[in-house]
Amino acid sequence: MSTNMITLETPAAEKIVDRSKTRRRDHDNGWLFALPHLVLFAGFVVLPLVVGFYISLHHWTILQKFHPFIGLSNYRSALSDDIFWLALRNTVYFVILVVPASNLVSLLLALGLWKTRAFGAFYKAAFYTPVVVSIAVVAVLWQWLYDTQAGLINLVIQSWCTDLNRLGFHLPSFNGFPWLSDPHWIMPSLAIMSLWWGAGGNMIIYLAGLNNIPPDYYEAARIDGASSWQSFRAITWPLLRPTTLFCFIFSVIGAFQIFGQSYVLFGDGGGAGRAAMTLAVYMYQQGFSEFEIGYGNAVAYLLFLILMIVSAVQFGLLSRRGDQ
Amino acid sequence: MLKTHRLIHVPLMLASLLFLAPLAWMFCTSLKTDTDIINGLGSLRWLPSTPTLSNYRSVLGNAAEFPVWRWTVNSLFVSLGTSALVLIVDSLAAYAYARLRWRGRDKMFNVLVATMLVPSQVLLIPTYLVIRQLGWFDTYWALIVPASAGSFGVFLLRQFMRSIPVELEEAAKLDGCSSFGIYWHVILPLLRPALATLGIFTFMASWNAFESPLIFTDSVSMRTLPIGIAIFQGHYGTQYGQMMAAATLAMLPVVTTFLMFQRHIIRGISLTGLAGR
Amino acid sequence: MTHSSRFSHRPVTSTVVLLGALALVTAGGCSPGERHPRRDDAGRTALTFWNGFTGPDGVTMTHMVDEFQRENPDVVVNMQFIPWSTYYNKLTLSMAYGGEPDVFVVQSTHFAQYASCGVLRPLADAYASGARPLTKVDFAAQPWQQSFYYGKQYGLPLDIWPMGLYYNAKLFRDAGIVDSHGSAKPPTTAEEFLVDAQKLTVIDPGQSQPRQWGFAFTDLHYNWLTIAEQFGGGMVTADGRRGAMSSPGSLAATRLMCDMIGKYHVAPRPAQVNSWLLFREGKIAMTIQGIYMLADLQKQQGLEYAGAPVPTLGPVQSTMGGSHMLCEPAGASPERAKAAWRLMRFLTDHSYEWAAGGQVAARSDVLRSEPFAKLPVQSEFAREVTYVQYEPQVPKGPSLSQFVDPAIESCLDGLQSPEDAMRDADRRIDQLLSRD
Repeated sequence: MSTNMITLETPAAEKIVDRSKTRRRDHDNGWLFALPHLVLFAGFVVLPLVVGFYISLHHWTILQKFHPFIGLSNYRSALSDDIFWLALRNTVYFVILVVPASNLVSLLLALGLWKTRAFGAFYKAAFYTPVVVSIAVVAVLWQWLYDTQAGLINLVIQSWCTDLNRLGFHLPSFNGFPWLSDPHWIMPSLAIMSLWWGAGGNMIIYLAGLNNIPPDYYEAARIDGASSWQSFRAITWPLLRPTTLFCFIFSVIGAFQIFGQSYVLFGDGGGAGRAAMTLAVYMYQQGFSEFEIGYGNAVAYLLFLILMIVSAVQFGLLSRRGDQ
Repeated sequence: MLKTHRLIHVPLMLASLLFLAPLAWMFCTSLKTDTDIINGLGSLRWLPSTPTLSNYRSVLGNAAEFPVWRWTVNSLFVSLGTSALVLIVDSLAAYAYARLRWRGRDKMFNVLVATMLVPSQVLLIPTYLVIRQLGWFDTYWALIVPASAGSFGVFLLRQFMRSIPVELEEAAKLDGCSSFGIYWHVILPLLRPALATLGIFTFMASWNAFESPLIFTDSVSMRTLPIGIAIFQGHYGTQYGQMMAAATLAMLPVVTTFLMFQRHIIRGISLTGLAGR
Repeated sequence: MTHSSRFSHRPVTSTVVLLGALALVTAGGCSPGERHPRRDDAGRTALTFWNGFTGPDGVTMTHMVDEFQRENPDVVVNMQFIPWSTYYNKLTLSMAYGGEPDVFVVQSTHFAQYASCGVLRPLADAYASGARPLTKVDFAAQPWQQSFYYGKQYGLPLDIWPMGLYYNAKLFRDAGIVDSHGSAKPPTTAEEFLVDAQKLTVIDPGQSQPRQWGFAFTDLHYNWLTIAEQFGGGMVTADGRRGAMSSPGSLAATRLMCDMIGKYHVAPRPAQVNSWLLFREGKIAMTIQGIYMLADLQKQQGLEYAGAPVPTLGPVQSTMGGSHMLCEPAGASPERAKAAWRLMRFLTDHSYEWAAGGQVAARSDVLRSEPFAKLPVQSEFAREVTYVQYEPQVPKGPSLSQFVDPAIESCLDGLQSPEDAMRDADRRIDQLLSRD
């Protein structure tokens, strides 16, 4: 990072320069620099956004020649669609399971790593490695871990049961938890997998936030005789708020879009009892299996709308509370 | 909390072993024969009784159905391509938003930032239609170009650029440098750490991308590695030895890259987080 | 770079961006891709033929296509087998974006979906063409009828695949269910069926589960449809607008199926066992399945299987079935259409060969013929041809099973009462159909 710290000493006396010419130069070709990106942006963000909404207002399947305009009918259908609500419930359930837990774990890990010098790199690498792995690999790996008969998790629990039984407890026989085959277990299983996958990412951000807190505050607190918990509550937590807000909002946005975990493990059907059917999977199923493009886009826009509302609420709640 | 007790290492070590355990188990399983895995039922044996590379041979051997090398090359090409495109396009744009003055600059930038919150699902189907119309379906274009249209890089680099002292540019202007010259000779060299971070980021994100490559490609030879893993899974299903070998292979390039550039990456993410205010 | 001009740049930027967007949109148009004329292969006409016959059917079809090419040296057929699970995806995409085949199979279940989109070529002229035109009398009634959609004929029925009763003749003889000649006598009515099934369910003393079941459900979807039709029920109403899973007939059928498991104990829960495998192993005496499973049974050594019409378990004599329809894409040029019809006509004229491979013929002359009567299982199943029912012609038809099948399964597995499960299924079917 040393190069960023170079400051060239400019001569104190300013040269007389034809400022109007240089300013005109800025004006003239400024937008040229932004243009390549804007072209991509226009073609692959703006255009799809507009086209997507346009299509969602029509009855549109890819085979049919005519796509009648039906206004908001697709949206109305979605809101009276059992499966849409099921997908929404599943998605919200997932978000509730993953976001608080994952952020808590990330924060704890960050706090643990905050002043730790020894092994710092090792710990960071250990917690962050899952983040760099592709979701497909994560899903396939955890399918193996979750296997009812031979998965690592059930094997470990089995050995605990055996040990406890040997110690005298009389536990019922353990047949292995049906992590991925029982509808009630599926979402929690996906949540645990996603926590493992993502905790490291937020940990780094929390660490950065923690490192940004001026140490003087803690110095002052120590002099005042505050305990660790008190200084956490009074200093760390409030000053971490922007970071927490950032992490929470982006965690929620990311969690709402869950797709890969569900698709790799269960395809576009959502698994047993459709427990893994999320909004993104439903949109994919409607758009690319049923080829109902109009309806699929409506589902996507509803997801967008829900996300905006949730983000706005989050922002309001988390940023208003106490500007110390 | 200025002092950390030595004891912090106990939970930290435990936690890191917990996080690494799945990956270790994956690797160990990939070296076990099928009988080894079945015999392992009911016991927690980590090490294979007879380590074997047969799973890897089986995964790599069936090149007609599962062209792993081709998939890896695809992923490599696409990730490098996307990174290159992003670095070029976004650095130019960031310069325009950070330093140059032009009409509509700030409004445009706000639009860019606003769209960063748009979930990708909204764009997926329409982008698919655009790809089809352009004739880019099942080609590298479809995997590289749409992925480079995001504004995150512009945002990140603009933040970085604003921390570069203006005096440097003033000096270059006094020397008669054009805007592009300033960009090329002054900004870019100083931007190198940020560019490295963005490049690595984009590379990893592109490598691990799943939903878009799934939809924008169709033929087996155009698939990227993560999609290949999903294809494996559809075929090998519960043959866990081969599945874990495939997973290990898919994971290796990214994890190796990560471990090599660990400091850059982690630093880059911290700056992302801080930039988000 | 000249810096003399002082035009304002925001409008320029916006215009460029807008133009780019407009260009993309108009270049779009979102209409099906252009059909490129196929190139002739060394002077011969090249036909692409897609179907899903990846199993033993494919072997039979390959022989037939080879024979066609021998008799028609000016045509070369490029046949592609695509597994049914991805077949319709590929077919739809090829029709929307180019590369669609010249001849392809569409199952009667998907027929309405494609016909309603106008992507199939009407075949009236083709049927009437040639030295000996094909007419209604050449086909059994159902397949002929089902090849029409709203009055236009879009398909050529290749066969009929009805559900039928497969039974283990040896188990029947062992249980003493025989006719006057001492050969196995399959049931024809509901009473006979239940009595036979109970005789054929054998529980060893001291065991809780039978070692041999009288009956098993090996295909929930078609078993349910068959029995539901026999009670006057079905998936959807006659007009295809609303779900009919909660109709009295459907509920009666469902209850009977549940009773077979829960009351008469002659069939296992679907979740319990791999029924088809057990039938092949001789542990199940009867099962209702399609004619297309015949090839699978022929592979099983030592299994004395036989076929019979499905017993009439309800007031109506009925069986579910379907056809593989041969179709051409709409907009095919006249020469391509002609060449395609030559292949299609050949295949239907060789219906016996196709049937011998494990199908029931749709051509009336073959059905009446001696050689066909000698095919043991096919001829038995062919007795149902006069009353076989097809799935209703609903464009959304293929999408209905995602609601129908889980409902049936949860009833049979005892997870939900028939009333609740069927009500849920109906509600979801209604939601799906109302989106049309």
